[in-house]
Amino acid sequence: MLAAVLLAGACSGSGGGSSGTTTLTLWARDSEKTFIGQIVDQFNQSHKNIHVNVTIIPANDPFVQKLGTATANGSGPDVVSIDLVFVPYFAKTGALRDITSQAKGLSYLSGFDSAHMRLANYNGKMYALPFTAESSVVFYNKTLFQRAGLDPAKPPTTWAELEAAAVKIRGLGGNNYGYVWPGANGGASIFELAPFVWASGGEVVGGTPGQSVPMFNSPAVTDMLTFMHNMAQEGVIPPSASTDTTSNSLTAFQSGTVGMCPAGAFFIPQLQSSKTFDWGVFPIPGKTGGYSSFAGGDEIAVGSDTKSPDAAWTFVQWATDMTAQQTMAKLGVMPVRVDLAPTIYTPQNPAYSIFIQALQQGHTVDSTVENALINDNNGPWATMIHDAIFNGNIKATQDTAQTKAQAIVAAG
Amino acid sequence: MSERRAAIAARVGERGGARRRALTWRRRRQLAGLLCVLPALVCTTVFFFVPLGLDVWMSLNQWPLLGDHEFIGLQNYAQAVHDSAFLSSVGVTVLYTVIITPALLVLAFVLALLTQGTDRASRFFRTLYFLPVPVGLASASYLFVWLVQPNVGPIGRVLQLTGAVHQPPVWLAATIPALLVVVGMVVWKVTGLQMILLMAGMQSIPEAMHEAATVDGAGWWRRFVFITLPLLRPTLALVLVFSVAGSLLAFDQFYIITAGGPSNSTLTAVYTIYRTSFVSFHLGYGAALSILTMLVLAAVSAVQLLLVSQSTEMS
Repeated sequence: MLAAVLLAGACSGSGGGSSGTTTLTLWARDSEKTFIGQIVDQFNQSHKNIHVNVTIIPANDPFVQKLGTATANGSGPDVVSIDLVFVPYFAKTGALRDITSQAKGLSYLSGFDSAHMRLANYNGKMYALPFTAESSVVFYNKTLFQRAGLDPAKPPTTWAELEAAAVKIRGLGGNNYGYVWPGANGGASIFELAPFVWASGGEVVGGTPGQSVPMFNSPAVTDMLTFMHNMAQEGVIPPSASTDTTSNSLTAFQSGTVGMCPAGAFFIPQLQSSKTFDWGVFPIPGKTGGYSSFAGGDEIAVGSDTKSPDAAWTFVQWATDMTAQQTMAKLGVMPVRVDLAPTIYTPQNPAYSIFIQALQQGHTVDSTVENALINDNNGPWATMIHDAIFNGNIKATQDTAQTKAQAIVAAG
Repeated sequence: MSERRAAIAARVGERGGARRRALTWRRRRQLAGLLCVLPALVCTTVFFFVPLGLDVWMSLNQWPLLGDHEFIGLQNYAQAVHDSAFLSSVGVTVLYTVIITPALLVLAFVLALLTQGTDRASRFFRTLYFLPVPVGLASASYLFVWLVQPNVGPIGRVLQLTGAVHQPPVWLAATIPALLVVVGMVVWKVTGLQMILLMAGMQSIPEAMHEAATVDGAGWWRRFVFITLPLLRPTLALVLVFSVAGSLLAFDQFYIITAGGPSNSTLTAVYTIYRTSFVSFHLGYGAALSILTMLVLAAVSAVQLLLVSQSTEMS
């Protein structure tokens, strides 16, 4: 596998093309394959001197490993679109180019979502620009709500309401369940469960990017785990959720047998393709009200291995400006320019305004060891979420996770 | 006189020439031999000794994926022997090896005995049992992920339809069932190969020995114990060493089927090395763990070979 990674890395890198055209490589994660090709085509058509080739790479571990190994041997891409949570690590290790001076000259810098801007900065310098946004909300099956005697026009706004609705839907019997999420997936669990903590005034990881302070054993996290554990005990979560590391939960919701399922705007096109039931979305609620979201999506950065930094910057700037953001919004991708959202995005679908509303209350994890702490499916966050919710023994599980998380921060 | 001396001198000269020619010929032969093994030597050096040397060097350093490395001597090794996560992954690997090795060997042995004939039925079943062998490990793993998946997998559905269970079981939610799913996949995939190896060993035992024993009044069981088993020892040793080494290095099947779960209880040693190096990016520590695993593997294989060779001499 390593050989394949190195080989693939060796084949990339920038180079001057024939007849004065600069060729750039762009790496993007697989969840962007629905729009990145169109964006790149549009750019290539309007820029005769620069040609961008896009390479799609599977998200999470493979993406981080490939970018890391390619950068380690000096063959990283010219431009990289990267999950925002990985920006601090790659900024710290010198894989991304400092673009502070160019970025400060942008007229629309203040229009970006604040969480993305925070992660684009490391030690006072800018290493990326916000590119795409994503927020987490709860999708709910209005048809099942109705069948269970719940008002589809009044989705839950507190934990107690959410739990009561889940129990009622489970009460329909058979294969009907109340609530589902991928219970063995670290990335999904930060995107979909951490907002319950944030909306209730708690935090998951504090401190600075370089010196994170895990708060896995804080009372707010205990509350969230207890709430979810109770739902698991009541049998409203399908047992298969405990081993789901991928997207089986979304498939279950899509099949129409699950009442509620947290996800992002990326799920809308999938749902629209199978119109077997009526659905809606509501923000992820706090314990007694309020709401929050994970502020996710991608940042776009110039790789430190590029031989054409100016051309790479031209693409980065273009990708964050009006034309590209408009094209993405038309394809259902949440724009990261919150200043543009009301005109180019929300008018298309009533659900979209809830996503933008959620994004504005969005939090994220700003840490150079985010992958090892959170996204790693065998790491302390994912293990704690799984063990506490499905096995119980919440406090001890939290303490174990906290100790492991602190060891990861100490090891760097 | 002088003519005779000249004749002798000429003869000696001839002999000397012959010797010189002989030496050159021998040297040529040596050179040819060296040339023949050279490709293998180069490959082994480039693909084994150089990476091994690099691995040892990395293991003596704190070596992040990106950034500078720093020499820290044996600190990585000192950390490894107290690393509970690594030690428990070694425990899981040993448990898996202890389960899978006899399962494979016994089943393969029985199948080899049953299908060693040359009749049509034997040939048919032999082919049937061998069919899963060419399937890739990753494909076979995904096949089993689907088979045991509670929502769409056929095993759960069949159990539910027959009334054996109320709800399709979630096999991967508990350690032992998860481990057994992996064991099931590997048994399905690898038994055929071991069967063929053992059968080849059985077929190389001269028929005359069995006939002689039969004439002496030995029944099937005595022939099996006193002829088949002892003469099959070298093949058994080969199969055993391959099987144990493969099991101690298990990674792909766990990565795909259990993803180390539930609760990291099926993380194998190699899985932990992978995670250390490519999730946490601590390449130096990962290198130290691989060196330790390699030493254990070398020791286990050496002991196995020693035991088998001793018992062969005894027999």
